[in-house]
Amino acid sequence: MKPAPFRIVRPHDIASAVAQLRQLGDGAKVMAGGQSLGPMLNLRLATPDVVVDISGIAALKSVREEPGHVVYGALVTHADVEDGRVPDVGEHVLRRVAAGIAYRAVRNRGTMGGSLSHADPAADWVNALSALDAAVEIEGPAGRRTLALSAFLTGALSTALGEGEFVVAVRVPKLPASARFGYAKHCRKVGEFAHAVGALVVDPTAGTARALMGAIDAPPLVLADARILFGGAIDGDFAARFDAEAAGAALAAAGLADAVDRHIHVEVLRRAVRQAAGLFSPETRSAA
Amino acid sequence: MNAPVTTANPTETVRLTLNGRPVAAEVEARTNLVDFVRDTLDVTGTHIGCEHGVCGACTVLVDGEPARSCLTFASACSGASVTTIEGLDDDAIAAELRAAFNREHALQCGFCTPGMLVSSRDLVLRLPEPDEHRIRMGLAGNLCRCTGYAGIVKAVASVIADRRARGIGPRTAERPLGPVGAHAGTDTIVAPLATADAARPAALPTMLAEDFTPAHSFDQSFDLPFPPDQVFAVFGAIREVAACLPGAVVEAMPAPDRVEGGMRLKLGPIATTFRGTARISRDAETRSGVILGAGGDGRSSTQGEIRYRVTEGAAPGTSRVALTVGYTLKGPLAQFSRPGLVREVAGRLIADFSANLDAHLKGAPAPAAASGGVNPIRLVLSLIGARLRALLGRAEP
Repeated sequence: MKPAPFRIVRPHDIASAVAQLRQLGDGAKVMAGGQSLGPMLNLRLATPDVVVDISGIAALKSVREEPGHVVYGALVTHADVEDGRVPDVGEHVLRRVAAGIAYRAVRNRGTMGGSLSHADPAADWVNALSALDAAVEIEGPAGRRTLALSAFLTGALSTALGEGEFVVAVRVPKLPASARFGYAKHCRKVGEFAHAVGALVVDPTAGTARALMGAIDAPPLVLADARILFGGAIDGDFAARFDAEAAGAALAAAGLADAVDRHIHVEVLRRAVRQAAGLFSPETRSAA
Repeated sequence: MNAPVTTANPTETVRLTLNGRPVAAEVEARTNLVDFVRDTLDVTGTHIGCEHGVCGACTVLVDGEPARSCLTFASACSGASVTTIEGLDDDAIAAELRAAFNREHALQCGFCTPGMLVSSRDLVLRLPEPDEHRIRMGLAGNLCRCTGYAGIVKAVASVIADRRARGIGPRTAERPLGPVGAHAGTDTIVAPLATADAARPAALPTMLAEDFTPAHSFDQSFDLPFPPDQVFAVFGAIREVAACLPGAVVEAMPAPDRVEGGMRLKLGPIATTFRGTARISRDAETRSGVILGAGGDGRSSTQGEIRYRVTEGAAPGTSRVALTVGYTLKGPLAQFSRPGLVREVAGRLIADFSANLDAHLKGAPAPAAASGGVNPIRLVLSLIGARLRALLGRAEP
């Protein structure tokens, strides 16, 4: 239960990290807060030759607001979001998600960029930020590019990151004042990876909804136009018209063959829907 | 505490502040903070339990905030200020907690207590009121196996109530963004390894149990635009089949029905080589076959089987290949289970495999990276499944 030997490099800026990664090649693994990679190193599931520890890069510990977006540096931690040290994209939207990730001691070091790069299908940021249609900014040998999460997450633990590339920032669209957000997950033990995640971004004024069902052992199922889950239209009474059968059918079409599994995911989405409608306390699972 | 471990791996000096005292010591890059504190500096109040972030026994303060010292490398927190349970002797909140733990019978064997006190102190600081639900949620990352949590929760609640009654409000300390303890990078290469950690070839398991019953199994199928007889024939040519799976290597075929080889696999941060041996049986009558194999990567071992059957496809002249994959895993990885992910990865793999097989049947050259393989699907599935279950069996970081 001790890691296999590796070297560690601690680049002080982004350019230096890119250069190091280019030079080190395939045997190198980027580490941010190390809260996902750490267990894999300790269990010797991952045995990189070199760990490139980017946690000393000041430029990644930043946040900036643009019209319509908040851009979080990759090293912004779950606790930074939970405590409100960075602006949220809507009232208590990311804060409530952050507060429910793992445990406080993990949130103090785990990062948004690291969690997305690890691409665990059951991870909170993978799901919540997909529901919010976020994108990642990627730095690499060919310069900087931006990818929507839907294109970035290619499979369980798999991303579109190329050789020498790493995530430097996460772009999250701000929610309009009329929009509401619901996020629910099912865990048998507080802090463990979710067995099911449901999320809904709904704007009754604009008549739009975007729904997500995640922790399906693959990148989350996102319904960019989720009106089909609400009888075809969104209005102020959307929660009452939540169509569990339509949600279940979408899961079945996505390959979830087990009826019990589909039921759990649909019910968790229903909780997210009720939460978005103000019928279900967002604090239920995010008090730690 | 422990005798110094001598290692052939080069070390580097790590400097940080421990309980207010500057320390510097030689460590390997892979040394976790908890091992640095306990074994190198002989400050053993911090306990170490699960070593993957779940149990909370190793929780210490890094730059004043709780962090898992088993998931923090000493070399990655150069310049940080680390406080262990020993450093909380004169801390006012810790003193109140010690008294409350004593009063409420909140400790028994004491193993979880150092981590409990560090996490409890954080809750006392941050929670606005002694809400039992929030205290329990806040302590969910610290496992206690003797007293239960009733006494601990009562103790924490009493300290919060007492402090709020004395007019001391909750607070979250000012701090910079980013992981606690992560100070500016230096570009120094810590602990360069003189020799690369070469591939660790595992011994080839040779025992193939006759009465194998898989612990997990699932079905997958794919279609190919070629007649069943032709597809079934290709499945009999193991080297051709293996060539369709990147990373697979056939080392030997000691008998027509026996294959030895390996599979190089990379998935996320996981990269490893499974080696194994397999026995193949085929039934031309039913165009079906069984590949029974065993393999390992030196730490974990697996046994598994693939049953395949080639039938007529939906359209004339096409085939459907139905696979039933069963596997059992032994060793350190076996404690974890998340079969759903195995299916997801298997789906992607089988899609690649069938595309390559399709290209192969059309006469295209084998993919450059694939130079043969053995019983590839089983090996890969067992391997990936094991690793995914492993990392999903723990707490979410």
